[in-house]
Amino acid sequence: MEPINELKYLKVFQKVTKLISMVLDHQQVMDTIVRELPGLLDIDAATIRLLDPSTQTFVMGAAHGLSMEYLSRDHIDTEETIAMINSGYPVAKTDVDQNVPFKDQDLIHQEGIKSVLTLPILFQDSVIGILRLLTRRNRVFTSEEISFSMALAEQVGIALSNGRMFTEMETQINFMKDVQDISALVSSTLDLDSVLHTIVERLSRSMGCKACTIRLLRAETNQLELVAAHGISEAYSQRGEIEGERNIATALSGEPVSIYDVSHDARVLYDDNMRKEGIKSLLAIPLKVKGEVIGILRILSDVHHCFTSSEINFAVTIAEIGGTAIQNARNYRKITLLFNQVEESEHFIANILNCIRPQLLVVDKDRHLVLANREFLTVLGKEENEVLGADYGSLWVGQQCPMGNCPMEQVLETGLAASFEHQVIKEDGPHWFERTASPMLNNDGTVEYVIEVISDITAKRQLEQEQLERVKLQGVVELAGTVAHEINSPLFAALGTAQLLEDELESKELIEDVHTIIRNLKNIGELTRKMTTMTGFESRDYVGDTKIVTLR
Amino acid sequence: MAEILALDDVQDATVLIGKILTKKGHTVHTFTEEDEAIAYAKANKIDLAILDIKLKKMSGVEVLGLLKADTPAMHAIMLTGYPTVETAREAISLGADEYCVKPIDRDELEEKVEKVLKGKEKKCSNCKI
Repeated sequence: MEPINELKYLKVFQKVTKLISMVLDHQQVMDTIVRELPGLLDIDAATIRLLDPSTQTFVMGAAHGLSMEYLSRDHIDTEETIAMINSGYPVAKTDVDQNVPFKDQDLIHQEGIKSVLTLPILFQDSVIGILRLLTRRNRVFTSEEISFSMALAEQVGIALSNGRMFTEMETQINFMKDVQDISALVSSTLDLDSVLHTIVERLSRSMGCKACTIRLLRAETNQLELVAAHGISEAYSQRGEIEGERNIATALSGEPVSIYDVSHDARVLYDDNMRKEGIKSLLAIPLKVKGEVIGILRILSDVHHCFTSSEINFAVTIAEIGGTAIQNARNYRKITLLFNQVEESEHFIANILNCIRPQLLVVDKDRHLVLANREFLTVLGKEENEVLGADYGSLWVGQQCPMGNCPMEQVLETGLAASFEHQVIKEDGPHWFERTASPMLNNDGTVEYVIEVISDITAKRQLEQEQLERVKLQGVVELAGTVAHEINSPLFAALGTAQLLEDELESKELIEDVHTIIRNLKNIGELTRKMTTMTGFESRDYVGDTKIVTLR
Repeated sequence: MAEILALDDVQDATVLIGKILTKKGHTVHTFTEEDEAIAYAKANKIDLAILDIKLKKMSGVEVLGLLKADTPAMHAIMLTGYPTVETAREAISLGADEYCVKPIDRDELEEKVEKVLKGKEKKCSNCKI
């Protein structure tokens, strides 16, 4: 085949320069180059692969004239060739289908590739990709052709870098706007579900990716739980635990992970599920709050995509904003829950206080009423808002309550519980009240509040009185019975003897005397009978302080 | 005429019972000690026992129980200076025929004794039949 002459080189160079200067998007640059080069250089196919810095591998950027099967092979070229390229040198090969040690020989043979010129794409002395020119007939590339192709590849490198820079700047501006928007959105709500949904939905859109998911670490189990997802199917989300994936382990350690091809990456466990879901690339970002990882944010692309540092930085920024917003929403949820619990407890305690029979009130150390139950308010005849904050002393104005022994004052003075009883005369008679005051101490051990309980103990007092009377009566009855019993036996002997004597006497005067004795003994007998059958007695005054009783 | 045993911790009371009932033709054996009265009743035939409830060591109701255990046909009149429902119920349940409250009138005592002894005769005639 006739080598390309210098004029043709110039024309090709001009055309390529013109082509790449017309477009700014680096993908368009790559597509244009690989599409146009075969015609210009009289070759059959061309590919551009870009260096993925995270894996130090070359990933497909653009291709023309080759089958998908060939492009999807595991190895681009021999390790020696790749090493040469990485060193910045071109490698030209012919009869590549005959080269036995070369891997993927069958695919090369099937594709009909005979010669390959592999060129490093350099930018500022760094390899950023490779340009490969392929022919289906044996072609020996001349040194001029190789030099020309190197210059062309360098031109491609400049164009790619310019395109990248332009795209990067455009992307960064868009990202900045999106950061502002997302930040405003997640800050506008404290609802956790809303925050999570906003992040996954907006991040997918901003990065032009298929899907986004958020998994948060459960504090109890230290396991990740899928809490929000956008763009994935239910079946995919249910595929199983992902803690075993290396990309997750790395992200949990705090480092972002970018994977260009999930189907051929050891850091991905569910590659089959991802293939079915149409996922080609992923970016896993740790969600951090104050340096602590609280979860994982994953961005999933349905096209092979090499995530740029701008994209990664953008995702990291959103993850930081999101992490803080998630933590705020979680804290708000906890606070709301606690607040509700406190409110319920307060309501419950208020119900208990209102249901108990004794009056209850609480005063602070300045003697201001801070709490009163319903019974106290009912007795006082006032509403709660009328008395709360009132001075303790003012509560008792007009009440029959002696303040001299006030237990509340004693508690404030001594710090010890105190109680006293007092009587109040009401329409239905005297009522007795027991007032007990107890201190509520603060951390310093000083009285902060005093709890006073006022109980109506009238019934208890009456019962005690009745009990006392009953004991007294029992003692009197037992004493009377004992005395009667002791008297009755001698009385029986005396009465019977007198009656026998009456039979023996003949003197009328003596008989009258014995009658008198018998009558009086019978009176004593009547008295002892009363004493043995008494059920009660009435006390009445006798002389001075002395009292006598009448038996009932 | 009947063999009567009188037991009371007050000796004058036993003497009085003895005088009243001896006049009615009965033979009265008086005791102030429970042991002696019980021993006598075991060794001799007694038709009627007149027992005070408050004694020195035992209660009259306990003595009644012992005497009745030996001689179920024996009659008994309980005397007490301090009547209670409990002692009355217990004495009746052990077979006492009367429960009298001191100071009992001489006539009333004579009547009660006659009434109780007649009941015995009736029982005996019934037995003969």
